[in-house]
Amino acid sequence: METPPGSPDPKLSALLRDLGGQIHRGNESLDLDALPLPTGIPPLDRVLGGGFPTGRVSEVSGPASSGRTSLGLALLARATAAGEFVAWVDWADAFDPVSAEAAGVDLERVLWIRPTELDAALRSADQVLKAGGFALVGMDLARTGASGTERPRIAASAWPRLRKGAAAAGAAVVVLSEARVVGAAADLALELDAACPRFAAAPDWLEGLDTRVALVRNRTGPGEGHTPVKFRASRNAA
Amino acid sequence: MSGQRIACLLVPGLPLAAELRAHPEWVGQPVAVVAGSGPRAEVLALSPEAEAQAVQIGQTAVHARAACTDLILCPHSPALERAARDALRDAALSTSPRVEEAPPGTGVYVAEAAVFIDARGLDALFQSERGFAGALYERTRRLGLPAVIAVAGGRGVARIAARLAWQNGEETRVIDPGGDAAFLAPLPLDLVNPSDSLADALGRFGLHRVGDLSSLPERALTTRLGEAIRPLLALARGEDRAPPPPVPPSDLFEEASDLEFPVRTVEPLLFVLRGLLDRLAERLACRGLAWGELTLELGLDGGGRDVRRVGMAAPTLDVRVALRLLDLAIQAHPLGAAIEHVAVRTVACTVRGDQLDFFRPSGPPPAALSRTLAELGAICGEGRVGAPALADDHRPDAYSVRDFTPDRAGLPRAHGETPSASQTLAVRALRPPVPAQVRARNGTPEAIWSALSRGDVVRCAGPWRTTGRWWNEETRYAFDHFDVQTDDGWVVRLRHDWVERCWQIDAVYD
Repeated sequence: METPPGSPDPKLSALLRDLGGQIHRGNESLDLDALPLPTGIPPLDRVLGGGFPTGRVSEVSGPASSGRTSLGLALLARATAAGEFVAWVDWADAFDPVSAEAAGVDLERVLWIRPTELDAALRSADQVLKAGGFALVGMDLARTGASGTERPRIAASAWPRLRKGAAAAGAAVVVLSEARVVGAAADLALELDAACPRFAAAPDWLEGLDTRVALVRNRTGPGEGHTPVKFRASRNAA
Repeated sequence: MSGQRIACLLVPGLPLAAELRAHPEWVGQPVAVVAGSGPRAEVLALSPEAEAQAVQIGQTAVHARAACTDLILCPHSPALERAARDALRDAALSTSPRVEEAPPGTGVYVAEAAVFIDARGLDALFQSERGFAGALYERTRRLGLPAVIAVAGGRGVARIAARLAWQNGEETRVIDPGGDAAFLAPLPLDLVNPSDSLADALGRFGLHRVGDLSSLPERALTTRLGEAIRPLLALARGEDRAPPPPVPPSDLFEEASDLEFPVRTVEPLLFVLRGLLDRLAERLACRGLAWGELTLELGLDGGGRDVRRVGMAAPTLDVRVALRLLDLAIQAHPLGAAIEHVAVRTVACTVRGDQLDFFRPSGPPPAALSRTLAELGAICGEGRVGAPALADDHRPDAYSVRDFTPDRAGLPRAHGETPSASQTLAVRALRPPVPAQVRARNGTPEAIWSALSRGDVVRCAGPWRTTGRWWNEETRYAFDHFDVQTDDGWVVRLRHDWVERCWQIDAVYD
């Protein structure tokens, strides 16, 4: 199809729209430390404008079985594949090394911290940020157990301190939770809808999970948006 | 430069120097080191300020205090003296591998400590012998020891030159090559330290200067005064030129302190440790080394010992890091009794420069990481911080935790090696598994009641059977796993435990 002279190429326009914040002009000074951390899930990275922002606190919330953990592991896999070191503050004690390995996470590059108290989780994240050298600090606050789902009670003053630490370390802090807990200190917030599992008919097995990720807050890039995401089950992980 | 050159690194009053090294705030004050405790303890060493106020060596503590009311009396500490002696040797070893401790002084020189250094060729390293002596003086001063350095052709001449330099208030003295005999000739014979009987005999012969002795024939002197004159004559002629032997490198460093009063709490102990670590760091820095592992040994009231080891993620000389690690090691197991003696030992190693990669991120700085890991261990508890690893086990919920060592992480996986399934469905482990009541038909779940999910099963896949360790009654397991979707929105991994005869949810798909 011929493009009328003077009008922008539709393919180029689509590319610019999709890649958004990942494209820079040649004469722009590029701050490599401030590049976002991609998840490796193309439609989601497009919505996020490249990925999760570094030096900021981001939040991923959703009900159980909505795909939060799969999203977190995708982020870990992509970061460790790029040679980055990451820390996973696992207050929920739910990190499954088999599942992480199946998702492509380089386990040698993961510092797994399992605090039993919420206060210890925050202090641990603070310590990791102080040490520096970690590109991503994930905090899993979606604790479930024999007493059901536990909602973390965190003082509002904790998050600005963590945000300051993230900015100083140039690390992306990503919080996984059942419902939003970070509040105004979150620069980016994703909400996941209840997912729809896919079962294969014969033989009968869980094929994957279809979910919908909505960007409800983004102070660093394009505004709100949403995208469907499909997660495929790995036989190894299962 | 041809010919033998020997340097003598001399500390005239080691007991006092060792105390001032541990207590630099006492410099410039009247200080006396006493042997033993109580009012009858004898003064061993004195600072010039105490000497100026008529305190004398050999006085009792009571008399010394009467002569100078501001006098600081400190008991002689063998641990501090040993550490000071080691520090002196470290300063010497930082310039040459051929170093030898001098035999202990006698008479008025009983408190001095000296180290001989093979100084051949060092003028090339330090531009001149005076440059070498100046550099060595600076290094020793940085280690907190008031030393004097003399360079000569032989050991005895170097030691005498160092003693004279100290008396004259000089920091260094260099006797030009070939000038030993000329240097010694006008000096009184007492300086070569003859025995009392030999000194009497030489006096009777009218020999009062070193030059008088060295000009006489050796055979005639030996006939009249016996074999005892030979070493004296060799010294007088500057002929004791055997170089110090090479010292095998030792990587064990120790700083210790005997506490005046038993310590029962952590705070004052940390104060003492800070001083020990500072001094240890100075010694290691002088040798171009760093601590790779620390051992804290506490001598307890009643004779017991408490030893704690602290590993380092990477060699470092950061005192704050080491102090914090020791603090955490002490807090991990509270002190059992009052502490009377503290020693910090380290196996030193060389500091490696960071090998940066053009394409890879550098990762956490090793020195800060060791401190962070120790802090995290203290916050979360033992075994709850590390790198996750797959367990060598078929049990579905098995996992292991290894030490987090960024050095071990190899090259990052190339993008082609990364599993294409970056959108892999993950499970959240439930530790421990959540008990569930299940209504089943023909072994297949139809409804679940648990703390998490309560509802009818919408879809179910399975069972997948896992069994293992059937040969051991206590650890054997047999599970039937089902992937279950319930009508309240949960997608869980349900298992029937054939050993315990119960249903559990051991993971949630998320």
